[in-house]
Amino acid sequence: MRAACCAGPANTSAGPDAAVVAIVGAPNTGKSTLFNSLTGAKVTMGNWPGTTVEVSHGRWQLGDQAVTVIDLPGAYSLDPQSPDEQLTHDLLLDPDPRERPDLTIVLADASRLAHSLYLISQIREHRINFVVALTMGDIAAKRGIEIDVDALATAIGAPVVPTNPRHRTGLKDLAATASSSLTLGHPLFAPSADARRSLDSQPSAENDGKKGDGHTSVKDGKGDACCCVSEANAEERFAWIARTVAATTNAPQGYRQSFSDKVDRVVTAPVVGPLIFLGVMWVVFQITTAVAAPLQDWLDQLFSGPLSDWTRDGLGAIGMGGTWLEGLLVDGLIAGVGALLTFVPLMALMFILLALLEDSGYLGRAALVADRMMRVLGLPGKAFLPFIVGFGCNVPGVAATRILPDAAQRILTCLLVPFTACTARLTVFVMIGTTFFGAWAGTAVFVMYLISIHLIIGMGWLLRKWLWPNLVEDPLVLDLPPYQIPTLRITASVAWLRLKGFLQTASGIIVVTVCAVWLLQSIPADGKSGFGAVEVGDSAYGVAAKAITPVFEPTGFASWETTSAAIVGFVAKEAVISSWAQTYALAEPESDTEPGSLGARILTDFTKSSGGHPIPAALAFMVFLLAYTPCVATLAAQVREIGLKWTLFGVALQLVTAWLLAVAFFQVGRLIA
Amino acid sequence: MAADMTLLRAPIGLPLVLDEVSTSPVAARRLLTFGLREGASLTLLQRTASGGRIALVGESRIALGKDVCKQLGVSRG
Repeated sequence: MRAACCAGPANTSAGPDAAVVAIVGAPNTGKSTLFNSLTGAKVTMGNWPGTTVEVSHGRWQLGDQAVTVIDLPGAYSLDPQSPDEQLTHDLLLDPDPRERPDLTIVLADASRLAHSLYLISQIREHRINFVVALTMGDIAAKRGIEIDVDALATAIGAPVVPTNPRHRTGLKDLAATASSSLTLGHPLFAPSADARRSLDSQPSAENDGKKGDGHTSVKDGKGDACCCVSEANAEERFAWIARTVAATTNAPQGYRQSFSDKVDRVVTAPVVGPLIFLGVMWVVFQITTAVAAPLQDWLDQLFSGPLSDWTRDGLGAIGMGGTWLEGLLVDGLIAGVGALLTFVPLMALMFILLALLEDSGYLGRAALVADRMMRVLGLPGKAFLPFIVGFGCNVPGVAATRILPDAAQRILTCLLVPFTACTARLTVFVMIGTTFFGAWAGTAVFVMYLISIHLIIGMGWLLRKWLWPNLVEDPLVLDLPPYQIPTLRITASVAWLRLKGFLQTASGIIVVTVCAVWLLQSIPADGKSGFGAVEVGDSAYGVAAKAITPVFEPTGFASWETTSAAIVGFVAKEAVISSWAQTYALAEPESDTEPGSLGARILTDFTKSSGGHPIPAALAFMVFLLAYTPCVATLAAQVREIGLKWTLFGVALQLVTAWLLAVAFFQVGRLIA
Repeated sequence: MAADMTLLRAPIGLPLVLDEVSTSPVAARRLLTFGLREGASLTLLQRTASGGRIALVGESRIALGKDVCKQLGVSRG
């Protein structure tokens, strides 16, 4: 396998001719930690070409030789049950040897050796050049488990290297063994013909898995992965596992309650477990909103205040003040970069929290506790976290979907998170609520949150029935790894890697969109004004808003000023109020709860556009704001997580839903009123 | 071998033998990768908040949903 087929940018791979080393193993065996330890910061994350499966690749220096390392999705076995596992299966068992990695490092958990040996038993049945990295030795030692590494290597038929990626021990030995295995270039074990036939005959994800003799044939319930397992071969493998464990492991007899058992008795218990879970979710929500908010405000003020002022002053000093160049720099580039950077504290905190929850082992327990609740949507318990975070801000909410190992679940959750009522929408809700509902403003805003929750459940049900009818069949069978104290190095490295990935994807989308809005608002459509010196209503943007306005006739808020505000809301929901102020040529209100002359103007406008029914029209507009695309940063995050195709599908879904709901609210409300 | 009870009704803390796996093939295959197949030994460690169970299988602790537990037949080991 050559690196060119899978590697990312040149600085994060060892070049197109370099050897490729794949890291595979069950989840929670330290796979990604080993990958980070081997590659350091020279890493790129991204979807495998043609799939939504995320794969990281980086550069590993083996003495004089640099190789490209791929961190494949976690897999308990080579019997694929999800698109993620299918990718691992295909890369290792692809009939074309050129597509196979030159070397595979398989992780085995020393504290639960039998658990890891099933995957190894399958790998050794093929002509795969592999070495075993034996991890979790410290936990095994605490439990009194001793493993004869040489005997294990003999039993497996491949080198075994004790490694602790969390504490960076054994890495040199692993590098030396990997280098040697790459040079030898062939497996030490000759697989049995029967065993090879068993796996080689498995159908791919696209096949339908028809039954054959002695095989259990299955579609995985998601319509995109299937496989068959030979029961006879499974028994052979378990017999080999039992012999291998008996010959290589010395462990105390009987069950001894571990620290993790004691913690689990509390955090997964009925009543107490859900309370702890809600407490943890509350802390995550608070940190991603309350802690990040002041930092966001500071960055926002820095870009819209001093940085913009200095630029204007600088351009004024060279005689370019008030020109289109000032508009491009201040209202386009600085505003765009500022919008991007205000998300950095929020996203950094989110990624740190995710890394801490994952690294400690709590995330698996949270999934267990919330499982029944999320199963209504056909999602695992882990999916609760993105929704909770989404109520703070949709952008980290979408990013949090990467905790879901299954691509279908990740896509479904990503499509639903934008329906959570984020705090940016809250600002607009409060302003509209105060303008139209007076003392009942709080109730109106609360109703929006209730609608948001029902929208998630309703849309989730609809999408599941429509796109993934069998998603709910995924059973809860979850491995609970031992708890571990998160390490600063791993947490920081994982959080940085994810933040870097977000910035790489989001920067272009956000800056280009903000610049495009500025450009359209600067192009005169009346033929009288100059470029950059035109009223919004007479600009190309205003003309476009006026052209779209008739679409909103049945919603009761069909004025071009409100349409214009809704379009700006694509960039950021906070910009809706400033857009109204700009188009009505009025000052922005000092406070959301004191809308002043702007509120009075909006009320007049809604009364006119709704034919004397401003309250149903205001409700319709609030529902529209709730349901349509939250902001361009959310779109950027979605493109990164689920790709452009699904993101565009989501945008269309949100627009259609928002319009239909707005029409329903206005028409029904008008009849009641 | 006929099972005495489902895993949902099995006692906590006693050795059990898995006699019957009546789950969907998807669940059966996932259970298999964790060593949970007919004839396997296990011990239930506790009930969980979602109505399922945590089972000790070998050295591994496996959380099983309520629906899966209903479909596993066990007898005392």
